[in-house]
Order: sequence, then structure tokens, then C-alpha cells
Amino acid sequence: MIERVTFEKVTYAPIPARFEAGTPPVAEVIGLGVALDWLMGLDRAALALHEQDLLTHATARLQGIPGVTIHGNAPGKVSVLAFTVDGIHPHDIGTVLDRHGVAVRAGHHCAQPLMRHLGVPATARAAFAAYSTREEAELLAGGIEAAQRMFS
Amino acid sequence: MSELQELYQSLILDHNRSPRNFGVLEGADRHAEGYNPLCGDQVKVEVKLDGDRVTDIKFSGNGCAISKASASLMTAAVKGKTVAEARTLFDGFHAMVTGHGDQVDTKALGKLAIFAGVAEFPVRVKCATLAWHTLRDAIK
Repeated sequence: MIERVTFEKVTYAPIPARFEAGTPPVAEVIGLGVALDWLMGLDRAALALHEQDLLTHATARLQGIPGVTIHGNAPGKVSVLAFTVDGIHPHDIGTVLDRHGVAVRAGHHCAQPLMRHLGVPATARAAFAAYSTREEAELLAGGIEAAQRMFS
Repeated sequence: MSELQELYQSLILDHNRSPRNFGVLEGADRHAEGYNPLCGDQVKVEVKLDGDRVTDIKFSGNGCAISKASASLMTAAVKGKTVAEARTLFDGFHAMVTGHGDQVDTKALGKLAIFAGVAEFPVRVKCATLAWHTLRDAIK
């Protein structure tokens, strides 16, 4: 923030106010508060089970699709599913899935050495949360199969 | 045709599967490497020049279908053209994929016009232009 601005000269506010740019993220803070209230009102143990159920279901479904490789199968991992599809770059997978209503992250996930270790240029990664459903896991699998038909 | 089919037309899928002018160009006069740090795509473009004319060109590297097909069609489009003609092609191509296709004569782009659908996918514009930016660096 500033104290005083003219065409000739700018005087900044004292630290720390000078590092605060404009309006604070008011809407974001209120939104986060509402999200936290919602989350704390849920049964946390049931929530963990729900996410694990989706992970188990989606993992089994994707393992059944020829050409799909799941990366990272550590026991007890959180509900994320990183995968590659033979012959289709993860960014193309991401675009096709997007048009099927599924948002995944595609890229090197700020983990380029790991991608090198896995021998892949990038991966696509789906993540399941409290609000995800089995139907959406099915959309994910169906979208991958549609991409395979498109690129075959 | 859906936007997705518009993006992944058969010509693009064909150039992704069997890229033209792919590999190392022995005795290249100029080369440049392009890299997209966000997605990890990388491409190397090598060029042979006779005066101001591109007599041969090859590319190598890896990337998504859009970037690979774009590099492939680019090499086919600029081979035999002068450096100035290649730049003009890039200007038109860039305008088209960034949604300013109404300002360019897409007929002059020939087969490159197949990438018009990219304009509907803003996050993929960088994929389609990576090879072109790299070529521009190589012949600047």
C-alpha cells in the first residue's frame, strides 16, 4: 500500500502494510470458512472410507482397461490416481476427459525427477474428494476409453 | 462436429502417429530447442538454408498430439519457403489459434488451417505454437 502518490513521487506505507496489495481476498476467506464449516459437520471417518471406496473402485476399473498404467500403488495412499495411457499423451487425455465432464491434472506435477524415474513424459492424475461419486469414477473410465477409440 | 472432433481431426491424428520430417537433420545450418516448462513438451527444430530459403527441415522431441502434429505440418509447410514467407505463415497461424482467425486469410495457411479448432481450447495454444516459436528462434 501507498501513503501518497503524485506524478513525481510515491511514498509507500510502512512495513508490513507496504507489502499488502489492495483489497484482501475477502470473498475467498468467507468461502473457505463456509467450506470448513461444511467439512467439520461431516463424519470424518465415513468421509475417509468414502474416498477410499472411490479409489478402490476407480483403481479396479482402470486396471481393467488395456493400455492403462497406474503409477503409485503404495498401501494406504490418499485418494489420488495417477495414470498413463499407451500411445496417448497425458495432455490429450486431459482435454478429452475435460469434455466428458472430468477434470484431471495433466503434466509433471512439479515432480520432473519422478517422471524421469518412471520413464514417462508426464501423467494424468485424478483425485477423489467428499463430493465425488462412483458415477464420476465411471465417467473417468468411460472418458479414457473414448480417448482410446479416438486415438486408435 | 463437436469441438473435440474439431480439435482432433484425422489429419492431426495421422501426423501424430506418423510425423513427417521427424528425426535428426545431418549438416543443419541452424537449430533451436523449445521447451514448455508447464507441460514438459520439448522440441528441437533443425534447418538447412540456401541463402534465405529453407531447403530442408526436421524436428525431434516429444509432446502431445497437438504439438507433434503441429511440428510435423509446420515442417511440411515451410520447406522450400523463404525465411520471410515462413514468418508470415507463423503470424497467420498464431492469429488463427489465438482466436483471431477472422483477421487472417486461412486459405493462405493451406493444411495448417486444420488447427483452427485449437482456438476453442486456450490451454492448448502453447502446444500448437511450440514448434513455430522454436523455428522462429532457429531462423532469426
